[in-house]
Amino acid sequence: MANILIIDDDPDMVLATRLCLESGGHTVDSAGDPAEGLKKIKAKRPDLIVLDVMMDSATAGFQFALRLRGPDPDPAMAHLAKIPILMLTAIHSTTPLRFGPDDQYLPVDDFVDKPFEPETLLKKVNALLKK
Amino acid sequence: MAEIRGEPSQLDVLLPRDLAAASTRLILTRWAAGAIVILATAASQRLLGIILPATGLYVIGLFILVYNTALSLLAQRAASPDPAVYLTRLRRLVVLQVGLDWLCMAVFLHLTGGITSPAIVFLLIHMLMVTILLPGVSSYLYVALGVGGLLVLAMLEASGALAHYTVLAALPSDLYRDPLFITSQIVFFAAAAFSTVTLATGIMGQLLNRERQISALFQTTRAVSSSLSLHEVLDQLTRNAARALSTAHSSIRLLDETGETLELAAAYGLSDAYQDKGPVELSHNPLAQEALAGKPAIVDEAADDPRLQYARQVLEEGIHSLVVVPIVGRSGPVGVLRVYADQPRRFSDADAQFVMTIARQGAVAIENAMAHEALKRAETERAQFVRTVTHELRSPVGGAQSLLRVLLQQMSGELSPSQQDIIQRVETRLDALMSLINDLLALAATTTSGFQEKPEAIALTAEVRSAFDLRATEAHEKNIELTFSPPSNDVWVRSSHEGLAHIFGNLIGNAVKYTPNGGRVSVAIEPRGARVATTIADTGIGIPEDELPKLWQEFFRASNAKKSGMVGTGLGLSIVKRRVEAYGGMISVQSRVGEGTTFSVTLPICPAPVS
Repeated sequence: MANILIIDDDPDMVLATRLCLESGGHTVDSAGDPAEGLKKIKAKRPDLIVLDVMMDSATAGFQFALRLRGPDPDPAMAHLAKIPILMLTAIHSTTPLRFGPDDQYLPVDDFVDKPFEPETLLKKVNALLKK
Repeated sequence: MAEIRGEPSQLDVLLPRDLAAASTRLILTRWAAGAIVILATAASQRLLGIILPATGLYVIGLFILVYNTALSLLAQRAASPDPAVYLTRLRRLVVLQVGLDWLCMAVFLHLTGGITSPAIVFLLIHMLMVTILLPGVSSYLYVALGVGGLLVLAMLEASGALAHYTVLAALPSDLYRDPLFITSQIVFFAAAAFSTVTLATGIMGQLLNRERQISALFQTTRAVSSSLSLHEVLDQLTRNAARALSTAHSSIRLLDETGETLELAAAYGLSDAYQDKGPVELSHNPLAQEALAGKPAIVDEAADDPRLQYARQVLEEGIHSLVVVPIVGRSGPVGVLRVYADQPRRFSDADAQFVMTIARQGAVAIENAMAHEALKRAETERAQFVRTVTHELRSPVGGAQSLLRVLLQQMSGELSPSQQDIIQRVETRLDALMSLINDLLALAATTTSGFQEKPEAIALTAEVRSAFDLRATEAHEKNIELTFSPPSNDVWVRSSHEGLAHIFGNLIGNAVKYTPNGGRVSVAIEPRGARVATTIADTGIGIPEDELPKLWQEFFRASNAKKSGMVGTGLGLSIVKRRVEAYGGMISVQSRVGEGTTFSVTLPICPAPVS
């Protein structure tokens, strides 16, 4: 059983994710934007982060992940870089949007498509926690 | 002066085809000239009993025939696919002809009596010829050469340095030494040559001018009908207007939305500094006001014309005269066309009228190009709008779907069977809505310029196979026999991963979806020469024959597909078709109701990428 932090600006999405993860026996906390998310990560150091891609900008989630564990990480947050990140995205399967070669390296551990299949989400979360 | 692009010097000579025709005519005439020299010598000697240096004259006649043979051979070899090379060769050929002719003429004159020769008038014909054929060089140079040559010949004969042949016995035998006779012959000849050449030069100038104008008008008409790019049209217009008036500078300014400022839209042969001289506001620019009122404005001397808004810059650019004409479209004036010259008083009213004609033609092209660009902009904006809207639609629907799925999985507590059934129905409707949004998004993406995928070489088999694999479970559940025949050698097509995934995912998905339990779906890839055909054949419900032509229309669904109860948006195939065509391919369909449907996607094969 793990502590999981959801960072997503859509409260319905947060609720759905929370219900799904809680039914799997996890303890869930949430943040509505990257800044609040960072505060909670520092304060509580969750076992896993579920991160939304599109928040206030189309790539806010990517930028957040890069800040935590990009090629040039913030040394103050080095101890947080090991927390697994599962990204919730609607981008890579259904739209022709593609990121350039520089963005291809995305420092996240796995992706789940939005809208998600609850079973898939749980399976991926548990797999990441076992690592 | 500004850098001059273009090649104004080419305008001062005849067109290659005219020069070639003139050269051919000259060669034909020369056969007669050579023959006549020989025949006339024989006739004068035998029939008229005139004493002539016959041997010399026969030699000249023969020499003319010999070099004419050589010239006609050279003329045949002058042809070249490059017009510039052809023109250079033709000019050289003409210079060679003229040089040889003048040499023969000089010897002929000497042999027929020098300054007393009755053949002196022929020299005029030779001068006229060069004036017409080589108008680039000042014709008075030829007059000077001819008159000077004649004078030298007369002096040489008079001084005894060169023998004199008296041809007409009736003339006094020492007439060729008489200073008064020599002087009068030379003066009268010079006067005749000068006036002949002056007249010819004037006529040739007018002809060339007319030719240039017709050519500019022709080019303008062609530009009007051949391009929808505003930039290209304006560029052509400035170039043609300058060429038509034999200058090297022109510009077009178009009225902005306020109708008060004229924005520079195209410039030809003007320096960057001059182009950036400042805003041209109608209220400060009397010349533009005059032109936009409908009549051309001519400035004869920029130094003392109060109508110029930027007089200092105009003079710094080396411009002394200019003509400004309105560009009037269907709904009123759209801008002004200006042509500039380095000399004062260069433009006549006729010139201004001619530029007006070009501007009138140009107005049509400018309006067409502007309308076309507005249309393209509107199309892009529309697609952008659809994209934004669909993105905004996706989030709430996605949120609702996720919540419902969590609910259906009983993750927030037990559901009664009837509650489960209701939520299941809502979920199905939301799934349909989501696929509609996704299709709209894909449709918008195929029409949004600036958002086009960059095509790359992609191995086809793997893409088709992954689309195929995605449907394996569904096919298995329906007990459909699903077969895939890959090609023996893989081929590459210029496309994108998303595009191919969409094309084949849609076609194979449809085949499985509309094929009843126990049916067959077969997918095959077959390279055929420079193209590769991928066929997706099913034993499904088929498409009614009369509905086949409408299959590619947005939102169209075949009547039997609608009745089947299967959910669909009717957008899939229209997006598939757009994508296939964007990759330079074709899609075709054959179908019989109750028997099945075969889709065939043909794409051009591209070379494998170098890795």
